[in-house]
Amino acid sequence: MKIYVYGIIDSNKQVNEPVYGLEKARVYNIPFRDVGVVASDLAGPMPDVTEDSILAHEDVVESLMENFTVLPVKFLTVFDGKENILSVMENYYSDFKDNLNRLRNKVEFGIKVIWPGDKIKEHLIKTHKGGAQKVTASDGSPKKRFMKEKFEKYKIDKKFREKASKCINAMDVFFSKFAAQKKLEKLKTENLLLSAVYLVERDKQSDFREAFEHIRTARDDFRYLFSGPWPPYNFVILPRKSHPFKISEQAAMFDKVFHERNLVGADKT
Amino acid sequence: MIVNRVVETDFPEEFIEEIEKSQDSLPRKIDANPGNVEKGLAKLVLTLIELIRKLLEKQAMRRVEAGSLSEEEIERVGETLMKLENKMKELKEIFGLKDEELNLNLGPLGDLL
Amino acid sequence: MDNVLTKSKDVTLLEVLDRVLDKGVVISGDMVISVADVDLIYLGLKVLLSSVETMEQLRGSPFASPMQEPT
Repeated sequence: MKIYVYGIIDSNKQVNEPVYGLEKARVYNIPFRDVGVVASDLAGPMPDVTEDSILAHEDVVESLMENFTVLPVKFLTVFDGKENILSVMENYYSDFKDNLNRLRNKVEFGIKVIWPGDKIKEHLIKTHKGGAQKVTASDGSPKKRFMKEKFEKYKIDKKFREKASKCINAMDVFFSKFAAQKKLEKLKTENLLLSAVYLVERDKQSDFREAFEHIRTARDDFRYLFSGPWPPYNFVILPRKSHPFKISEQAAMFDKVFHERNLVGADKT
Repeated sequence: MIVNRVVETDFPEEFIEEIEKSQDSLPRKIDANPGNVEKGLAKLVLTLIELIRKLLEKQAMRRVEAGSLSEEEIERVGETLMKLENKMKELKEIFGLKDEELNLNLGPLGDLL
Repeated sequence: MDNVLTKSKDVTLLEVLDRVLDKGVVISGDMVISVADVDLIYLGLKVLLSSVETMEQLRGSPFASPMQEPT
């Protein structure tokens, strides 16, 4: 029987209210010491990656959030049977426990900010050295001109990034006040100034929200996206482990097929 | 069932555009079908080469900024960077790959670029 | 609904996707090799059965333009 896994929770008790997941199957808790693996049976084939299946998965994880600390598990994690799940739990138990303890009573919020990056860059280009600095043919060899142009671009880009950092820090100062942890990505694109996730204690949620609203109104020339509360997807820390299992049958099959078909440098005719 | 998530914005389309642009175009897997394996590998290799090329360029610019390159060195570095850039343009054309397809998001290391 | 993921026009779905697809607890490795449309996962991990034939749809085909033969 295939088993679809949604998350690890800090309880080994049964799930009381009926919760339904993929294939509308009833979700249950597989106890392991003082924690549990929340799962449902998968009777049919591997679920397709559709909006419905993704949301069915996420809905289960969020239901768990209400009553437990949950470590959300990646979509489409399916096991061959209960024993296999228990083997993994043996291997990861203390890591899971550490995470559960660290993440107890905390939720994740996402904030994204769009700024007028292209306009700002244009402005920087215009005001760069008075704007009159055009590279002309008399500026020496093509290599020199190439370097000069690159250097101009580099300086503008640097100013651009510095401006971005300043704006981000100004905002982050407010958000961080109520956050235990954070992850910030600056300028993922020219216009996506900030893509951030914050780990916030449950009882600080409204303070955090207020901080966000404050920034949103203070800097109303930017555009904002606020999401959450999420289970702490971005704050689970797991070490890489080498698994003490034999090479799987799948891997053996892979080797066989790969060598038979001689895929490397395969003749296309 | 309780659903917590709330995703709020007054500008969903703008965010969709930027989010999609920001996604890695590096394939999660290499398709080993004979017809596609070259292109998948080309994309992987060229993305990594582009990354190195950009880092080299950035490093050179930092040295120009610091004034630690002589005029002659600037010329020589310029020549090499030009050649690299042209070579990359060629390779991109050969494999039919556009700049957007070689996007590698460095995450927290993004400031390197 | 097919192939929803590459051109999702729903920002909520994008936010969910960003999380469930490769954040949280990831027990398997990410290196997947597809052999003639049959996805095999090369892990030393016997316990995890994770067919990713449908992950093909995840990012769409990254090879949108036809490949040109090198001259």
